[in-house]
Amino acid sequence: MKDPILSVKNIEVKFKVRDRVLTAIRNISLDFEEHKVVAIVGESGSGKSVFTKTFTGMLDLNGEVTQGEIWFEGKNLCEFKTDAEWEQIRGKKIATVFQDPMTSLNPVRTIGYQISEVIIKHQGKSKAEAKKEAIELMEKVGIRDAERRYDEYPFMYSGGMRQRIVIAIALACHPKILICDEPTTALDVTIQAQIIKLIKDLAKEYDFTTIYITHDLGVVANVADNVAVMYGGQIIEYGTVEDIFYDSRHPYTWGLLSSLPQLGLKGEKLFAIRGTPPSLFNKIQGDAFAPRSNYAMKIDFLKEPPVFHVSDTHWAKTWLLDPRAPKVEKPEAIRDLHERMVELTKKGGTYGKR
Amino acid sequence: MENNNIPVEETVTDEIDMNDPSLFEMAIADDSESEHITAPVYSYWGSVFRRFFSSKIAIAMMIVAATIILFAFIQPMFSNYSPMVAPNINNKSMHYIRPFKMAGYPFGTDDVGNSLFDALWAGTKNSLIIALVSTLICEVVGIIVGMFWGFSKKVDAVMIEVYNVLSNIPTTLIAMILVYTMGGGFAQLIFALCVTSWIGTAYFIRVQVMIIRDREYNLASQCLGTPTWKIIINNIFPYLISVIITSVSRDVPSFISYEVALSFMGVGISQEYASLGRMVQKYAAYMTTASYLFWIPVATSAVICVSLYIVGQVLADASDPRTHMV
Amino acid sequence: MAKYILTRIVKACLSIFVVVSIVIVMLFTMIPRTKVMDLDTSYRKMTGDNKTVYRLMRYDQLGYLDYVRLSDMCKSEYDDVTACMINGSTENKAVIEKYESNGYVIEYLRNGTAYGYHDYNILELVWNFWSNLIVVDNVNAVQDENNPDLERKIYIGTDYNGVPAVMGSGTTHKYLIYFDSTFPFIHQNWITFNFGISYPTKAGSLTTDVINEGQGAQVSILQTFPTGVEMESPYNQHTAKYKYTLDHLDMQKFNDNYADCTSYYESPSMVNTSYIFGIISLIIAYVVALPAGMSMARNKDQLIDKIGVVFINVVIAMPSLALIFFIRQIGANFGLPDKFPLLGFKDIRSYIVPMIILAVLSMPSLMTWMRRYMIDQSNSDYVKFARAKGLSQREIFSKHIMKNAIIPIVNGIPASVILCISGALITESAFAIPGMGKMLPDAISKMNNNMVITLTFIFAALSIFSILIGDLLMVVVDPRIQLATKKGGKKNGK
Repeated sequence: MKDPILSVKNIEVKFKVRDRVLTAIRNISLDFEEHKVVAIVGESGSGKSVFTKTFTGMLDLNGEVTQGEIWFEGKNLCEFKTDAEWEQIRGKKIATVFQDPMTSLNPVRTIGYQISEVIIKHQGKSKAEAKKEAIELMEKVGIRDAERRYDEYPFMYSGGMRQRIVIAIALACHPKILICDEPTTALDVTIQAQIIKLIKDLAKEYDFTTIYITHDLGVVANVADNVAVMYGGQIIEYGTVEDIFYDSRHPYTWGLLSSLPQLGLKGEKLFAIRGTPPSLFNKIQGDAFAPRSNYAMKIDFLKEPPVFHVSDTHWAKTWLLDPRAPKVEKPEAIRDLHERMVELTKKGGTYGKR
Repeated sequence: MENNNIPVEETVTDEIDMNDPSLFEMAIADDSESEHITAPVYSYWGSVFRRFFSSKIAIAMMIVAATIILFAFIQPMFSNYSPMVAPNINNKSMHYIRPFKMAGYPFGTDDVGNSLFDALWAGTKNSLIIALVSTLICEVVGIIVGMFWGFSKKVDAVMIEVYNVLSNIPTTLIAMILVYTMGGGFAQLIFALCVTSWIGTAYFIRVQVMIIRDREYNLASQCLGTPTWKIIINNIFPYLISVIITSVSRDVPSFISYEVALSFMGVGISQEYASLGRMVQKYAAYMTTASYLFWIPVATSAVICVSLYIVGQVLADASDPRTHMV
Repeated sequence: MAKYILTRIVKACLSIFVVVSIVIVMLFTMIPRTKVMDLDTSYRKMTGDNKTVYRLMRYDQLGYLDYVRLSDMCKSEYDDVTACMINGSTENKAVIEKYESNGYVIEYLRNGTAYGYHDYNILELVWNFWSNLIVVDNVNAVQDENNPDLERKIYIGTDYNGVPAVMGSGTTHKYLIYFDSTFPFIHQNWITFNFGISYPTKAGSLTTDVINEGQGAQVSILQTFPTGVEMESPYNQHTAKYKYTLDHLDMQKFNDNYADCTSYYESPSMVNTSYIFGIISLIIAYVVALPAGMSMARNKDQLIDKIGVVFINVVIAMPSLALIFFIRQIGANFGLPDKFPLLGFKDIRSYIVPMIILAVLSMPSLMTWMRRYMIDQSNSDYVKFARAKGLSQREIFSKHIMKNAIIPIVNGIPASVILCISGALITESAFAIPGMGKMLPDAISKMNNNMVITLTFIFAALSIFSILIGDLLMVVVDPRIQLATKKGGKKNGK
């Protein structure tokens, strides 16, 4: 395996909220391979966004990386102190596309200004050159009549078009990594597929590594090479997309997969994980998912599970993989997931070959 | 090459005997535990008071304001002060006694030998009455009109034009003209102060009502069949309490301020009444010769306004349910 | 767009119309008219018929009623008035009867001569004010029996300095449009406002002249008059108006009847005094309050923010009068005058404290606005995205937040102007500054009703048009607003 493009080692992130300390990320380590698409999935509040924000130093003012290292291009990003250092990374090497295109753009600046601004800043080009490049970019992301629309304001664009602009801005400096923070959640279903495809195509052309943050397993199946499942501030299972979909081991991943509404059969009750996520204000003992798990053991409440390897590409943090644990079967709903998916695709849809 | 994606293994804590097979027995938590909410029992007014009394400045200011208000309403009952009566007018030795020089005249005496202490409390009382009555009228009218204004589109179309006319004219100007034409009685002054101020309150309430009315949770309640009065009492009113307190906490000091300013310019309450503004106007002439006559009422008006304003602001903040989360 | 501006201007004018009309009706109906005469010393000394006639003439001048002498009545009916002027003649009786039937009250002097008057009702009062308000100068404005050959024309000539000007003959003013070296360099006398006369202070002068004319001592400058006489004179020839009876001195300087000039004074007029204070203090307020609000937002919950919040709360809560006197006292401790006339117009020290006070009074709202706005903006998604783009804090601030922040700044201008007017009313009184703000309480205490109306009109117009201008400027700075398509709308939704 090649050297990873980004390597995260044992990071922990804490937030101070009204005099109380919240641990949002608990000891995560993960390597990102170049050109591979990694999807980070998990429910709201599991720490997906916070985790990726540490790569660009974008944590809110009350948040802090309290330990660990993030290695990128031979530098430990956790040692960055000043904004000037971060500006060499943000936008230039690691770019981000946010969830809501409606608010990501400055309402009183023209579209063109907002794209060429980045080009001028990071590539030191002149205004005219930047404009030329910006128009090219706009065409690349599928804006027709880009020359004319260069001087328009964001409110004159539709949501899908704005997200294309946001992507254009993110790609303006040919970043090495593109973080897509739920890029399609705020968009119409019909537009979602277009945007996903756009990012996929551009990834080839511009040669960047994509990190998706999403809770849409449909998107994951469609685009990801590797999947990291997050729960309670930790990655509890990591593997290739096949590993996660067909051979998942963590009860939370099972729950997540079972919750896919598309898998429900007519007449069957839809599955839902019971309970609520743990409060990150409290110290979490044992397996964070244990109180909600149908497969919890006594030890799950006492001791945090270590990493158990399933294969070279696949690991999970659950005591169920301990040799002493009783043999449990994964839920029926996802046992023949592959067959079900194939069944579903017959009726139309976008599952299968990527 | 080994896969690098391996978190460092945690050191095993000693207390747990990993060889105990019972550790690996299934132990499924019941639903109640996973659904358990750890937040303490919530009481609206309890939270309001807890938050209010957590502010030391607010408590201090409340004591100051309460002392002044009590004094202003009780002391004049014993002194029977009137600016039109001057028992010591012919006794020159009683004129211009400096503060703290003679027993019975803690703030000294004025140009006609009246006790400034008595005059101050009588004046404070009248100024407070003017401010409180004006605030009451403005709030009652403002809230009622504001509610209708916020709920009805038809009313809105008319009222917004009325608002545009009235709110664009400086209140001081209107109050001056009104007191000039109607005379400087108690009722006239209160009318002059209220005649344009209510629309500001009404507009404020209107905006709040519009915001709250269209909130998703109210639409949701409506869809679930909650009767309108229940929505108003349970959803809208608690929110409005803080809005109203904010508005009151601005009104009272601003009315005291208006009274003082109008009287100073000679268009306030007429001479037979004591008031802070009247005192400031009357004693401004002695600024150089007997400055205490001027500065004591000015300082009193400032202390009342600032203390009431701060108490009101903290109370408004405390009564906003959104601040109760911690 | 044009339509929107037009409706807004119409609405603004309507607002002024409503407010001023109400004030007119109130002043003319609710203030006992006898009180208006109380402060006239010459009236108090009079007795008998003289007193009656003087009173009615004054009321007529002030617009309370229409006063007609017997000769007026007769002239309206007959060319030859001799018969009519004889008390008890048939013509005399007929004309009196006619006036009585028209609603005039007829009374008689001691010698039996009749006179009449008609009290204006509310509608007439309002109509008289508005119909006479705007005076457009024209070639038939002057009707002088003693000067039947007066030429009637408007032409482009040159003024006494040889500068081209639009001039008139037969018009009230000689110079209709002219240029000079004072701001705004081009001036006009074509359209003027008539708010009636001032009384009892400066009795007989137009209120507009009272507030527009300079104050203090007259200043003489060397100038050439139309007759070729060169002399030191305070006359401002550009203001020349038609004078019906010329005296010896006038004839020495002028070769026509346009000899009624206002003078140059060493101190600015009441209007200009108020403008100078208002504009400079507004600028100070913005220059100080906006950066202060910004730095409060940047250092939220830190010392600087807390100090700022205390300042805002104290200024808002404290009675403005108390605040004015406190600051005045502090100024006095630094040796600055506590009354404007002490050092007067020429000394810069006269201006410092009042301007600081006016600025301080407008600052809290601006600071609160700015602070709130900056905090909201810094939490907005586009600022986060701008950070993710790799822009520095400084760039985000100057290129993105500022552009947005200008919108509320512009929006806040009208409110500042209104606050400034309110503040000026009290501040000018406290410092005895001879401006419009002090003029209003003075006029009220002297029962100078026309002056009160004039000032109400000016203040109301200033407030309303500042709001209009604020809204129009919004269109310039905010690309999202397109006024033509919508009106009202959901402004607070943003």
